[in-house]
Amino acid sequence: MRRSLTIGIAGAGGDGVVVLGTLLQQLAASQGYFSQMPKFYGAQIRGGGSAVKLSVDAEGSSLPKDSLDILVCFDWGKYLEFQQELPLRADTLVLYENTPPREIDLPEKSFQVGFSGKSQEATGAARSKNIVALGLLNRILALPEDRVKLAIGKDKELKLLKKTLPALEAGGHLLAELSFPELRLSPVHAALPKVILDGNAAVARAAVRAGCRAFFGYPITPASEIMDAMQEELSRGRGAFLQAEDEIAAAGLALGASLTGAKPLTSTSGPGFALMTESMVLASSAEIPLVIVDVQRCGPSTGMPSKSEQSDLNHAIYGGHGDAPRVVMAPYDVEGCYRLLIESINIAQYFQTLVIFLSDQWLGQTPVATNDEFLKKDYPIRGRKRPAGKDLEDYRRYRLTEDSISPMSVVGDPGLVYQTTGLTHNEKGRPAFDFETHQRMHEKRWQKLAPLCQRDDLVKVFGKEESSRGIITWGSSAQVVLETIKELGLENKVKVCVPELIYPLSERIEGFLRATEKLLVIEMNYSGQLYRYLRSQIDLPPNTKTYNRAGGRPFSRKELTGPIMEIIR
Amino acid sequence: MTTESASFRTSLKPVWCAGCGDFGLLAAITRRALPNLGIPNYKTLIVSGIGCSSRIPAYIDTYGFNSIHGRAVPIAQGAKLAKPELTVIAIGGDGDFFSIGVGHLPHAVRRNIDITCIMVNNFVYGLTKGQDSPTTLHPEWGEKQFVSPEFYTPINPILNMTTYSLSTRASFIAQGIATDVPHLGWLIEEGIRHKGFSFINVLTPCVTYNPPELFNTIKERASYLRDGELVELPDSSMEKPWPHDPSNISLALRLAQSPVLGKPHLGIFFQGK
Repeated sequence: MRRSLTIGIAGAGGDGVVVLGTLLQQLAASQGYFSQMPKFYGAQIRGGGSAVKLSVDAEGSSLPKDSLDILVCFDWGKYLEFQQELPLRADTLVLYENTPPREIDLPEKSFQVGFSGKSQEATGAARSKNIVALGLLNRILALPEDRVKLAIGKDKELKLLKKTLPALEAGGHLLAELSFPELRLSPVHAALPKVILDGNAAVARAAVRAGCRAFFGYPITPASEIMDAMQEELSRGRGAFLQAEDEIAAAGLALGASLTGAKPLTSTSGPGFALMTESMVLASSAEIPLVIVDVQRCGPSTGMPSKSEQSDLNHAIYGGHGDAPRVVMAPYDVEGCYRLLIESINIAQYFQTLVIFLSDQWLGQTPVATNDEFLKKDYPIRGRKRPAGKDLEDYRRYRLTEDSISPMSVVGDPGLVYQTTGLTHNEKGRPAFDFETHQRMHEKRWQKLAPLCQRDDLVKVFGKEESSRGIITWGSSAQVVLETIKELGLENKVKVCVPELIYPLSERIEGFLRATEKLLVIEMNYSGQLYRYLRSQIDLPPNTKTYNRAGGRPFSRKELTGPIMEIIR
Repeated sequence: MTTESASFRTSLKPVWCAGCGDFGLLAAITRRALPNLGIPNYKTLIVSGIGCSSRIPAYIDTYGFNSIHGRAVPIAQGAKLAKPELTVIAIGGDGDFFSIGVGHLPHAVRRNIDITCIMVNNFVYGLTKGQDSPTTLHPEWGEKQFVSPEFYTPINPILNMTTYSLSTRASFIAQGIATDVPHLGWLIEEGIRHKGFSFINVLTPCVTYNPPELFNTIKERASYLRDGELVELPDSSMEKPWPHDPSNISLALRLAQSPVLGKPHLGIFFQGK
C-alpha cells in the first residue's frame, strides 16, 4: 500500500484530461484524501495539449513527486510537450491508448488500453474514454467502491458521473486484464472534510470574506479566474463589478471605489501589473487603500503566460516613480492565499496604503484538496480609522498623528469633505510646494508602516531556530523546498524561513539569521530578486549561497537536493 | 467646511492666469450648478486629471480628487459604481480626455454610468507651456478660417463623442463657453440631472498660449441652440437650417460637424431618454 501516488495524465484537447483529473481528485477528496493537481497547458485556445500531475496522499502534504507512479496517456504527441513536467521512472505504470513513437522509452509495466473502445462498448460513443480511465484508476487506487458510489449519488460535483456509470464500471473491469504490482492507496485514518480550492478561488473567497464588494479587472492569464469568480460573487446588486477597458482603468476604478469607503480589489498578471504602476504610486501618495493581486507568470513582457515564475518581486517592491511605500505579501500555499488576502485587505484599509499580493501561476491554478478548517476559522476584519471628536470640528485629511495614520472620511458620509491630490499636499490635502511639507509627508507615509515589521506571524519558520544552517525561500517555491527537506530527512539539520510579508521586512527575519552561519536563498527567477532585496536590507551571513533560475518548469526535489546538501555539509 | 456650504468655494486661490476661462467654469460650478441642484457637498465627488483645469477640485468645497493624467474617468466611474447615490463629476482638459485618456471615453459612453464629464477644451497644453494638444488649431494652415475641414480635417472631439454616443441608448452631449457662466452653469446642471453619462465640452481657448483671435472668433461666431428654433449654420453651409431637436441624434451629428471656428454651437446637442 502507498501513502501517496503521483498520477500524470496527458492528452489533446477534447480527450478530457482535466475533467478526468478533476473527477479523480474529487472522488479521492470525498474519501478524505489530500491532493494537489498542477495543470500544464500550452498557448492554444482549443485543441492544444494539456496535462495534469495529480498527487493523492492519505496523510497530508500532497505535493506531486518529481516522477510519476502512474501515467495515463491519450496522445503521445501531446505527452512529449509536457515530458519535462511528467517524467517517467523504470517502475512507472503506463496506461496508454495509442502505440508510442520511437522516442518514448516505455517502462516495463506499460499497457496499451483501449479506453475509446471500451467507452464505445459501454456507452455507444468514444467520448467517455476519460471516464473509462477514471474507473480503472479508481480500481487501481482501491478507493472504497461502495463509498465512492455513495459520493457519486450525493456530491454536487460528482453527480455528472451518474450518467456515465456504465463507462466508469467498464473501466473498473479492465483491471482484471492487466497485471502489475499493487498500487493501492493506504486508507485515510481520521478523514476530515476536504475542500478543493486553487489559489485563485481562495483569493476570491477571501476577498468576499474580508468585505470586498468592489472588484475591477481585465482578463489575463493566469489571473482571470479571480475576476470571473468576483463577477459571480458581486453580480445581481451584491456589489460593484466591472470588467474594465484595460488594467489602467481597472486600478483607477478601484481607487475611485476606495474613496467611497469600499474595500476594492483588482487582480492581474505581469503585463497588467506594469500598467497599474501609475495608480500604485497614487494610492501610496494619496493614502488610498488598494489591494492588487498579481498572479505571476514568466516574464518579462508577454513571456510564457501559462507558466509560473517569481519575477515580479522587484516591481512589487520598487515599481513606480518617486518614493512610494507599499506592503508586499506573498502566500506560499492555498491556505495562505486565503488567510493573507484577508490580511492584505485589512492592512490596506487600516494603514490606508497600497498592498501588492504576489501569487503565482502554480498557486493560482493548482487545485488543492485539503482540510477545510481554515475556511471556517475566525479572522479579524479591520476597517479604516474614521474621523471622530476633534476631527469633526477641524478636519484635516492628512493630520499628522502619533501613529502617522490620519482619520479618513469617506465620500457620502454626512458632515465632512476634503480635497486630495497626487501632488505633494499638506495636512488638509491641499497642494504644497515646500520642502518641509514634502519631507514630512514622506516620513508620515513610511513611518505608518513600521508596526508591520513586528508582525512575526507573517513570517513562517520551520525547524530549529538555533540551527546554524538556514534557507530563505518564498511563494510556491517554499512548498518544494519543505518537501525536499522532509524527503531527505533533514528537518532537524536545517531551518527554513518563508516570509509571507516581504515588504516591509519583518524583524523576525533578523532573528532567524542571528544564529545562521550558512544561508541558502531559493527562488524561481533569473536574477535572484529576493536575495538582492534581502542583501539591501540586512546583513546576510558571509557564507550565503543562492539557488535561483528562470521559471517555466516547476522546481523538482532532485534539483534542490544538491544546493540543500551543500549547506548542510 | 461642514455639510452644506453656502459658497461651494474653498479658501484656496487658483493658480490660473488672469482672464483664464477656468474661472468661468469654477463660477459655473460653484455659483450656479451646485447651489441650484441643492446636493449636499459631502455627497458630491469631483475627480480631475492633470492640467490647468484639473486643479479645480482644490477650489471646490466638495469631495475632490486631483488624480493623474487621463484617469479621471475611470476613477469617477469606480466611485459611482461603489456608491450610486453620489453625484460624481469628472473634469479634465483636452489633453486629459482626448489624448492620454481617450481610450476610457468610449467605454464610459457605452456603459452609460451616471457621471458628468466636463472637458475643458483650451486647445493647447497650457500647464506645460504651449505644446500642441489633439484639439490645437493651426491658423497658419488655413486662410480666412483658422481651420478648413477640406484642407486639414480638425480632430473634433464633439464629433467623436457624438459618434460614440450613437452606440448607446442614453447620453447627453452639450457644448458651452467659459465666458457665459449662467449658460454653462445651466448645461452642467442639466448634465448632472441627466440619468446616464453626460459629456460637456467647454470652449475656453487658452489666453496665454493661443492667439487672442481664437477666443474672440469663437465668441463672435457662437450661436445658441434653442429647442424648436432654427439652428444657425456656418456661412459656407449649403444646407437648409432645421429646427433644433436634442432628441434627434442625426441632427446632433450635423451640429457636431460644424467646425468650431465656423459656427460653434452652444447648448445641448443631444439628450437620449
